[in-house]
Amino acid sequence: MSDQVIIRFEGVTKQYDQDIPVLNDVSFEIERGKFYTLLGPSGCGKTTILRLIAGFTEATQGEIYFNGNVINNVPANKRQVNTVFQDYALFPHLNVFENVAFGLRIKKTKKEEVAKKVHEALAFVNLEGYENREIREMSGGQRQRVAIARAIINEPEVILLDEPLSALDLKLRTEMQYELRELQQRLGITFIFVTHDQEEALAMSDEIFVINRGKIQQSGTPTDIYDEPINRFVADFIGESNIVKGKMLADHLVEFVGKQFDCVDQGLNPDEPVEVVIRPEDLEITTRERGKLQVRVDSQLFRGVHYEISSYDKDGNEWLVHSTKKATVGDEIGLYFDSEAIHVMRFGETEEEFDKRLEAYGDGVGNEE
Amino acid sequence: MKSKLSRNLYAIPYALWILIFVVAPIVLVLYYSFFDIEGNLSLTNYINFFTPVYLKMTLSSFWYAFLITAFTLLISYPTAFLLTKTKNKQLWLLLIIVPSWINLLLKAYAFLGIFGTYGTANSLLEVLGIGSKQILFTDFSFIFVSVYIFIPFMILPIFNALDEMSPTLLDAANDLGASAWTTFRRVIFPLTLDGVRSGCQVVFIPALSLFMLTRLISGNRVITLGTAIEQQFLVTQDWGMGSTIAVFLIIIMFVFVALTGSRKRGM
Ligand SMILES: Nc1ncnc2c1ncn2[C@@H]1O[C@H](COP(=O)(O)OP(=O)(O)OP(=O)(O)O)[C@@H](O)[C@H]1O
Ligand SMILES: [Mg+2]
Repeated sequence: MSDQVIIRFEGVTKQYDQDIPVLNDVSFEIERGKFYTLLGPSGCGKTTILRLIAGFTEATQGEIYFNGNVINNVPANKRQVNTVFQDYALFPHLNVFENVAFGLRIKKTKKEEVAKKVHEALAFVNLEGYENREIREMSGGQRQRVAIARAIINEPEVILLDEPLSALDLKLRTEMQYELRELQQRLGITFIFVTHDQEEALAMSDEIFVINRGKIQQSGTPTDIYDEPINRFVADFIGESNIVKGKMLADHLVEFVGKQFDCVDQGLNPDEPVEVVIRPEDLEITTRERGKLQVRVDSQLFRGVHYEISSYDKDGNEWLVHSTKKATVGDEIGLYFDSEAIHVMRFGETEEEFDKRLEAYGDGVGNEE
Repeated sequence: MKSKLSRNLYAIPYALWILIFVVAPIVLVLYYSFFDIEGNLSLTNYINFFTPVYLKMTLSSFWYAFLITAFTLLISYPTAFLLTKTKNKQLWLLLIIVPSWINLLLKAYAFLGIFGTYGTANSLLEVLGIGSKQILFTDFSFIFVSVYIFIPFMILPIFNALDEMSPTLLDAANDLGASAWTTFRRVIFPLTLDGVRSGCQVVFIPALSLFMLTRLISGNRVITLGTAIEQQFLVTQDWGMGSTIAVFLIIIMFVFVALTGSRKRGM
């Protein structure tokens, strides 16, 4: 374990009254100064992970380490983390200044220093001059920034953010995504950000943890996860994808929709059944003759930057294509793709096994020609 | 235009109600207060009110109302707090509210039985070896019974204020380093202050003019403004003086409501 690790979960299980644990034997490491995102569908346990780190709830089993020490029994008010809550949880009876100053007042900081630090924190989130406003007089985006100022003023080592952008409209949300990312880089402290919006996760994070049903399905950089999803859930959840059943004939040779294709995957058993993923933007429209697949265009949607074309092959598999070129509904077209565009997923492969296979076969899948 | 007319029409019963049952009685009370016992127009009643007898009575009314409000608050706040933590909080709340539906006189008579010389309370004291005591007709019994009667009215607004408070606010305070006590002092109590205020209003104001309990439970040892008004109207038949005391009672109530009036705040 390196010095870089600030938070570590070891076999953490969280169970309420029901039979099914909310978190099931979860282990991961969080490194200092990075932007992490916990991504997953509603109810998968994201908030529970944050609450365990913040100390609002206790783990049923397993250890939580902070800077190398077990903190399972450290109460929330003694932990070096601060939270930005989903509903901001700003104190309605206090104005902006007093909300931000709350943590310092508890530490009995001197008056002049409180004033100075609050001013700095508000400047940090671009809210100078709002000190005397009441919370109800602030807009959603401004409230969120007050909540962030209130969290950073204590100079915690980690800030937890529970879907802080979900209440904002699209434009403000995109703006705040840039601001948050920039803020994290300026402060240089660890952010753990929760969202169920995959685009948000891909845009902001150094590392993403994809969570489903109380288990971390996959962790890695946004490109890792996007390009090499480990299973159907991840492939489906992150971006759009075409997933079909196939068979691995040998290294670098896979069969699906009744044809054989070159690919870059290796290290699987001969004739092993697999699932094949091809991202819609990796499919290129061409003539029937030049295409590797022949499909009929079923419908087409204009999405602003590209067309989203839905088409079916003769076996009835749907193929989604993102293309800047327009197609004609009802036409027979060909789809062309590179061998790198094919991503093969084994059934039931865990992240560990997946990483091991990549290591054993050199540089990894994407880089091979 | 038409909707404005019909809206005005709908307001008529309400306006009539206010006129007949709120404005008219106050005006009448005010009117009577300017007549002395012989029926002559004069200010003698007002001059009389500022004599030591009535001033002392006013002060003692205040004192008892204050004690009753303070003890009621002391008991009700923690109770309301515990209630919000229970699983079936609405059921528990209902159980506490139900006694307030029973007639005040009935409850007073029940306490006569309990606190009487041969009542339950004294038997208990006997068993404990303390020996029987004079409980009825003391300040203690008066305040005890009053507090008992007012508790539901205090619990309800405080419970509602506590219940409305978002639990993440408590997590937030905790997260920022506050201990349980600091969280209470800096977050929970300020946020329930409006509930405490309205609770104090609904207890303090009626407590000022309690009169049935003063006779039944304290045997007229405690004389409040309410008792005085009753005596003037029914015993002395001095309607003018009774009205004058009532005028002051009304003024005191308005002042009290204005002083404890809730500031607008929150979201
Ligand atoms: N106090 C609790 N008692 C019982 N079950 C709970 C409690 N808190 C959460 N759960 C359950 O734990 C599971 C995970 O909850 P959690 O809040 O972590 O989900 P989430 O991933 O944050 O979802 P969302 O995106 O909807 O916020 C849910 O099924 C929820 O019902
Ligand atoms: Mg959540």
